[in-house]
Amino acid sequence: MSDKERIKSLIKEAEIYRKQGLLEESKEKYEEILKFIQNHERYSKDKKLIDTVKSKIRTVEGTLDEIDQVTETPELSQEVQDLISRLFTFSKDKDMAAIEGAVALAKFGQYEKALVEFQRLIEEGKMPLLLAKNILMCHIALSSQDAAIAQFKQWVSRDAFSRRELKYIRIFLENALVKQGIKADLPQVEEAPAEEGKPEEKEEDIIDISSVRVQLVNGPRKGEMVEFEITFQLGNKISTIIPAQQKDLADAFEPGLRLSGMQCLSPLAIFNSRGIVSGLKIITSGPRRGDYALDITIDGV
Amino acid sequence: MAVFNSKDRVIECKIVYYGPGRSGKTTNLEYIFKAGKKYTNSEMVSINTKGDRTLFFDFLPIGLGKIRGCDVKVQLYTVPGQAKYSSTRKLVLKNVDGVVFVADSLEIQRKANFLSLKDLQQNLAEQNMIIFKIPLVIQYNKRDLGAQGIPIMPVEVMERDLNSKLKVPSFEASAMKGKGVGDTLKKCLILTLRHLQKELKWSQ
Ligand SMILES: Nc1nc2c(ncn2[C@@H]2O[C@H](COP(=O)(O)OP(=O)(O)O)[C@@H](O)[C@H]2O)c(=O)[nH]1
Ligand SMILES: [Mg+2]
Repeated sequence: MSDKERIKSLIKEAEIYRKQGLLEESKEKYEEILKFIQNHERYSKDKKLIDTVKSKIRTVEGTLDEIDQVTETPELSQEVQDLISRLFTFSKDKDMAAIEGAVALAKFGQYEKALVEFQRLIEEGKMPLLLAKNILMCHIALSSQDAAIAQFKQWVSRDAFSRRELKYIRIFLENALVKQGIKADLPQVEEAPAEEGKPEEKEEDIIDISSVRVQLVNGPRKGEMVEFEITFQLGNKISTIIPAQQKDLADAFEPGLRLSGMQCLSPLAIFNSRGIVSGLKIITSGPRRGDYALDITIDGV
Repeated sequence: MAVFNSKDRVIECKIVYYGPGRSGKTTNLEYIFKAGKKYTNSEMVSINTKGDRTLFFDFLPIGLGKIRGCDVKVQLYTVPGQAKYSSTRKLVLKNVDGVVFVADSLEIQRKANFLSLKDLQQNLAEQNMIIFKIPLVIQYNKRDLGAQGIPIMPVEVMERDLNSKLKVPSFEASAMKGKGVGDTLKKCLILTLRHLQKELKWSQ
């Protein structure tokens, strides 16, 4: 292939990548062409050719910038929003399905609509803690931190939640705001010495957790922070799997062990919590045979 | 998991087109949509950003009619390929019944194919599914570009890269021209329905 043919074919390649939306790759190819030209005496004086290639690079860079700048997600049509909440609900339970639909809307950046849904559901008294957290996260995602704070203050003044729940929500909101670099002056929630004869509340409204970080307090790796992907969650009970090869790690979690400084990561927030190892079993059948199933019950935040 | 309504004898299942960004997932669905237009009135929904990039997913419901006494409905989805849309991919993949992995034949996408397949495996594992066990087919797309002098990988190389362990059915395709699109989908449907038949114990 002559040099001229080579340049031609490289340009064709770069153009195709650009048309296919493989912009980084296209840019790289054009830069390769530019180098090739500049290193070949015959072409290195060809100002027109060099300018053409340079202008191509600028065009590709321009498109890349444009794409980078699109950060916020568009507000989708009512129809598509409805479709999303229909397609991404998986629970048989009607209430849970309604919440899942709204969570899907939030995950797809449809915060306004999600907020309306969450508000409607919380009015109906469904899973208030989970909904409260989602409402606050929507406000924050919409950059209306003030609205989140106002909402919290309203809950406090209205006695909409128990003290213990409010304390929990407060920590949740405080953490979420800190993540945004905001130090807010949230009203304190005093713990009532004993909740007036109320039965012990169940912490079943824990948000979807995707992973937890735990500091090892036992074993050879004592002191190390380890992170586990949550494979299953039912309310405040979370499960994860430790590969068979990491027996030393599994051994560090004897049932009954208290985990005080746990960090729970969810798609919506990171929060600190406490828990207890409620089970450690070797899986005896199926594809993960031999691995360890570790269960943790979260009992405080 | 598919939804099986035994009373009305309706089965609804979910097939996801997975793969690196720009490999041709949306093009596959668009072709299926156009080809099926004569027969159905189902609509394709695409949620795009600038430059026609898939932002969240494409969605195309199709009906297969009655199979073994059941009305079979299939939902086809694509995922956005770019790394930053990881959480969307997880959500779209939830409860999937079958996967079409659309690999890009372009040489420059060799690594991207790898990474995407690995990402698929991880995301499946997170919902306790194993890539070796789910109905899966691989498509080597953009074969047409070779004839235009653009460097593409020989199929043998792609097979070795992506399919040496999985050993799933694979197809060459030029989705833009519709070549191979139907075969890929058909095989995935067959595998998926066979799998569901076992799981749901559905038959006459
Ligand atoms: N030459 C060629 N181009 C294709 C083919 N399939 C898709 N494309 C192009 O590749 C680009 C990305 O396709 P798209 O379907 O949006 O990819 P996705 O990101 O996987 O959904 C578009 O410009 C398509 O026209 C094919 O078979 N041959
Ligand atoms: Mg797409």
